[in-house]
Amino acid sequence: MKKRKKINGVRVGIGAAAICSFLCLWAFATREGTTLGILMPGPVEVFTHLVETTYTKVGPLTIWGHMFNSLRRVLVGFTIASCCGILLGLAMGWNRTLEAIFRPIFELLRPIPPLAWISLAIVWFGLGEGGKYFIIFVSGFSNVTINVYTGAKSVDPELIGAAKMLGCSERRIFPSIVIRSSVPYIFTGLQIAISSSWAAVVAAEMVRSTNGIGWMITAGQSVGNMEQIMVGIIVIGVIGFLLSTFMRGVESKLCAWSRVQDS
Amino acid sequence: MGNKNEYKVQVRNLTKKFGDLLVLDDISFDVKENEFLCIVGPTGCGKTTFLNSLSKLYDITAGEILINGEPVDLKKHNIAYIFQEYSNFPWLTIRENVEFGLRIKKMPEAEIKERVDYFLDMVGLKKFQDYYPDQLSASMLQRAAIARAFAVKPEVLLMDEPYGQLDIELRFKLEDELIRLWREVGTTVIFITHNIEEAVYLSERILVLTNKPTKIKAEISNTMAHPRDIAAPEFVELRNQVTDLIKWW
Ligand SMILES: Nc1ncnc2c1ncn2[C@@H]1O[C@H](COP(=O)(O)OP(=O)(O)OP(=O)(O)O)[C@@H](O)[C@H]1O
Ligand SMILES: [Mg+2]
Repeated sequence: MKKRKKINGVRVGIGAAAICSFLCLWAFATREGTTLGILMPGPVEVFTHLVETTYTKVGPLTIWGHMFNSLRRVLVGFTIASCCGILLGLAMGWNRTLEAIFRPIFELLRPIPPLAWISLAIVWFGLGEGGKYFIIFVSGFSNVTINVYTGAKSVDPELIGAAKMLGCSERRIFPSIVIRSSVPYIFTGLQIAISSSWAAVVAAEMVRSTNGIGWMITAGQSVGNMEQIMVGIIVIGVIGFLLSTFMRGVESKLCAWSRVQDS
Repeated sequence: MGNKNEYKVQVRNLTKKFGDLLVLDDISFDVKENEFLCIVGPTGCGKTTFLNSLSKLYDITAGEILINGEPVDLKKHNIAYIFQEYSNFPWLTIRENVEFGLRIKKMPEAEIKERVDYFLDMVGLKKFQDYYPDQLSASMLQRAAIARAFAVKPEVLLMDEPYGQLDIELRFKLEDELIRLWREVGTTVIFITHNIEEAVYLSERILVLTNKPTKIKAEISNTMAHPRDIAAPEFVELRNQVTDLIKWW
């Protein structure tokens, strides 16, 4: 226990040092008089701008408002993608007929990148929120589905046998064994999906939006405001990190049993 | 536990094919109430297939298997099966694993607690009851599987080379534990093994199977009293007798 804490401390220290060096490098590369310095703001300017945006509006909202809108879009798209992905994955993994029906379609749609759907998203769902939800949905859905499908497929038949022996009826096998043993796969899927959904928010907000972190970046680009772009990028990175850390926390609470070995 | 002469399990002309592959060929035998039967046979002869047929995991091609004179019905007959590989549910703690069958049978909470405590204690896992299977060693998992199987107080206990992967010392210990459990619960045990010494050590009767298509080659009764001494002359003689039968594979 003590040893692990110490190792964690060392690791955090190394991480912090690496980030600091990166910031120093950035500051050095963009110092007064360099070409890069003319094209791009340094860390201090970006940080100052970030602080400013927390109380002055960028476009219609402060950065909090933009974050809120982006998060809302991601959570809506991600939630729908997760529900559909879990259902489809379990169905394909457990039922041969459903697998035969959905697997080929799914395998064809899976390699299409979210960006490729933008025009169709606009045609189907219009320029409002619907299209954005759809882009985010697409970027999360197949990650969840494929993982859950793998999980439901790889249920140990011996566990199913053992449950039957102990008097578990066919109907109860699915919730008590198949779903239970797929839980770690479900979480792996959700974790990948939350990251890719969040990453897709920039693409989604390129579809005529008036707010959101993605919008901040596109808007910054059209007026040549490099600081705004950098703030947007950094906020995307930090929130993405926080989201996946949060998911991992939930996972380690709910799947303590599958993590015990590699902790 | 009932009448010693009454047959607990009756296997009548059991035949099992996988497609064209004939595995079990018209096998018949009986197992008495509270008997400890060992089955030995060459690798791939269909020992696991037999237990899977008995426990209804496989459909049989022809013949029938009766428990108490009736066709096997998992809802009615209380059968426990310890697989060749340990099959603890990894998402449940050791205690919850042992409780699993009792909860399904909707036993009163107080009785569940009492039984689970008793059997966890018996296999020496009381201290580890809140651990998850991934945190325990192979022998502990096997003991957990044994506790789970015994907790339902099965009429028939099926064991498929349960100790195959354990080292000798543990194996001896678990064999003795098994004998103790068998006597205390009064169950009928069908135990499959590759290990002749183990069969002679545990069983009251040994069935020797042939290669595929599998038939019963010999049936040897073993009336030595427990605890058995593996160095005793009669033990060695019986072991040699079974070994000779097996040499003809
Ligand atoms: N589900 C199955 N489908 C097709 N063939 C099978 C199946 N299960 C077993 N067999 C075949 O039946 C034969 C007997 O297998 P089984 O596993 O019952 O042997 P075993 O006696 O338990 O072997 P071991 O000593 O290795 O455990 C083997 O030839 C195997 O290939
Ligand atoms: Mg086998």
